[in-house]
Amino acid sequence: MIEALKKNRLFAIYTAAVVVILFVAIFAPYLAPQDPFDGNMRNVLQPPSAEHLLGTDKLGRDTLSRIIAGTQVSLFMTICLVVLLAIVGSVIGITSGYFGGKVEMILMRFADMMLAFPGVVLAIAIAGILGGSVVNTIIALLAVGWAKYARLVRSLVIKLRNNDFIIAAQVNGTKTINILWRHILPNILPMVVITGAMDIGTMMMEIAGLSFLGFGAQPPTPEWGLMLNEGRQYIQTAPWLMIYPGAAIFIVVATFNLWGDSLRDVLDPRQQ
Amino acid sequence: MFKWKKLFAAICAAGLLMTGCGGGDGGGSSTSGGDPNVLKVGVTNFADTLEPTQNYFGWVVMRYGLGECLTKFDEKMNIQPWLAESWQVSDDHLTWTFKIRDGVKFSNGTPLTAEAVKNSIERAFAKNTRAATFFEYESMTADGQNLIIQTKNPLPGMPGYLADPLFIIVDTTAEPARDFSKDGPICTGPYMVESFVKERAVMKRNENYWDGEVPYATVEIPSIDDPNTRAMALQSGDVDVAVNIAAGDIEIFKGNDKFHIDEIASLRVVLARLNQKPDHILSDPKVRAALICGCDRETYNDVLLKKTFIPGKAPVPPSLDYGFDQLKDPNAYNPERAAQLLDEAGWKDSDGDGIRDKDGKNLELDFVVYNSRAELPLYAEAVQSDLKKLGFDIKINTVDYNLIDGMGIKGEYDLLISNITTANTGDPEIFLTWYWKTNAAGSNPQNGSGYSNPAYDAKLTELSMEFDKDKRRQLIIELQQILLDDGASLFFGYPQTNIINAKYVDGVIMYPSDYYWITKLIRPAK
Repeated sequence: MIEALKKNRLFAIYTAAVVVILFVAIFAPYLAPQDPFDGNMRNVLQPPSAEHLLGTDKLGRDTLSRIIAGTQVSLFMTICLVVLLAIVGSVIGITSGYFGGKVEMILMRFADMMLAFPGVVLAIAIAGILGGSVVNTIIALLAVGWAKYARLVRSLVIKLRNNDFIIAAQVNGTKTINILWRHILPNILPMVVITGAMDIGTMMMEIAGLSFLGFGAQPPTPEWGLMLNEGRQYIQTAPWLMIYPGAAIFIVVATFNLWGDSLRDVLDPRQQ
Repeated sequence: MFKWKKLFAAICAAGLLMTGCGGGDGGGSSTSGGDPNVLKVGVTNFADTLEPTQNYFGWVVMRYGLGECLTKFDEKMNIQPWLAESWQVSDDHLTWTFKIRDGVKFSNGTPLTAEAVKNSIERAFAKNTRAATFFEYESMTADGQNLIIQTKNPLPGMPGYLADPLFIIVDTTAEPARDFSKDGPICTGPYMVESFVKERAVMKRNENYWDGEVPYATVEIPSIDDPNTRAMALQSGDVDVAVNIAAGDIEIFKGNDKFHIDEIASLRVVLARLNQKPDHILSDPKVRAALICGCDRETYNDVLLKKTFIPGKAPVPPSLDYGFDQLKDPNAYNPERAAQLLDEAGWKDSDGDGIRDKDGKNLELDFVVYNSRAELPLYAEAVQSDLKKLGFDIKINTVDYNLIDGMGIKGEYDLLISNITTANTGDPEIFLTWYWKTNAAGSNPQNGSGYSNPAYDAKLTELSMEFDKDKRRQLIIELQQILLDDGASLFFGYPQTNIINAKYVDGVIMYPSDYYWITKLIRPAK
């Protein structure tokens, strides 16, 4: 990893940017200049000033503090989601790829079914039925997104399955679980990690989208998509309520996409 | 394989950013002088059909200038003749005679007779159970142009009841050849339906209209539910008139001489029903009182809503003369008292998480809200923020408007926000009955909160028989005081209501009873 950072300057820059974002997210409560939840209701919709660098919102809360706190919420949700997607997708993909037969058929037909739905629409439907909350958003996007990972992992496992080192392990009487854990998983992990990293931006957008529509985080959570929706009512009279959360989404999504791309260049053996 | 995703995400992010940037130009790009034959009105429409007896859809039939009743309310909420020329009540207060205006025709040319009116009112009773919550009659007979209604009990509010859009007069002989819910009803108003879907209605001139010339050949009525979009449609000239522009946008029009604003105190109240059935936290009067006096209603209305609302106190708004100033609210804003009341009621924060609890249960309340009126989520979030300081955990549950009525009736909430008209029949009797009269075994379904006070019910019965105006007023004041003392509901505020038009249109007026939006008075400016 250190080698890669030295060799690949772009990757180093993007990684640094990601580290900064993670730092903001982790230390959000200490970085936010004011309480993101508790505002002065006598002081609403103030334009940006020295006291409130990015203005105040409809309940007099400091927009900057809410955006900083929102980094934590958005990033936490996104990372949870991507990790869960990778785990669920890998387990299903390995199972169906390694064992084949009926198990594979059932799981993969199910995955085909999920892939046939337009993803965001299905996520809206699921989140709508479950009711809007942070956890339900993650469940909805997980239910929609796992199939892609399962398909990817399965195809990787099928390629590996008939390699000599796997057959050698089988002949030696290695337990199946050990084969999967020791020999299969390490070989597919780089691809899963790359896919996950590339997905962070997209997933963040989808989470923000669901929150914007009212199916994700609920008030008073400082979530960027939700903040955009709240600002929408004041788009003409207090545009800063939309500009800054929008800019936050843009910067973070763009950073993670670029980082994901360069991470692929570093990790993917086919690219070297 | 992954490239497009990155691109897509970047474009979406940029798109969101752009939306944010688009807000800069203050407004007033409306340039067209308006087509003198076509009027375009931006509204919010909740009706799926134009069948006047279905749900509250009659309101829309009347707002769109299609339907008319026997009576109507003027700008001061006085009852005026409409399709009925005059009326009188017998000395025993049991027989009402309405003289139906001569020479009125339905839009299909059928003449309006007392017989037609009778059939139409009977139709309303047959199709909607709400009709019987207004009044019940012994007999109804038609005699030439006279409609005679006999009632069992004296009903002082009769002329006002018949102004409710549920009793829009339709031509029942046009059925069954015409399906009112599909093709729209045949009524007597200045306009008639050309096409209707929930999102967009097109009306055309009623050539048989009885009350003078109808100014526009066509009226187009797009339903623009989002208040912000509605404001922008008016600015860009997509519509000539728009109703209920939200607090956040009204400033834009106030500073622009291309637009005319008619803003009045409405008859509405925004309130939160408090579910006080035995197994609910709010069944404890102390917790209710604490909740009410923990809310800084003056700030909500004066600051958050920029004075487009009048701060709330009592059920009936000050725009109606029912003693608003003499009513005493025992639960005016007082956070110290609220905290003390909660302590007394046994709610203490024993686990130090900032939320009070009692017997292992958190002080957690479910607040049901809908979004189609911009102020409702704002009130809810303000309450959530204020009450959090007192140790309440308010969970806001946003649902679709169509679910609200059912949830209110079934009592599936701790708090449920509503924006209700208080005097749809001319005075608040019906309003005070529907929401707070004891609901014994479903006898008063609108009261799903479990509120019940025998003294209140007794006064309501008295009110329903009282013809004397001053005594009625006194009774209504006493009724309100009972509700305030019991902490029956949380009254947030009273909306101003507005209608804004481009100045090339004339005669746009907002009436306190918001039944009358499109009237024959709206015409091209000279």
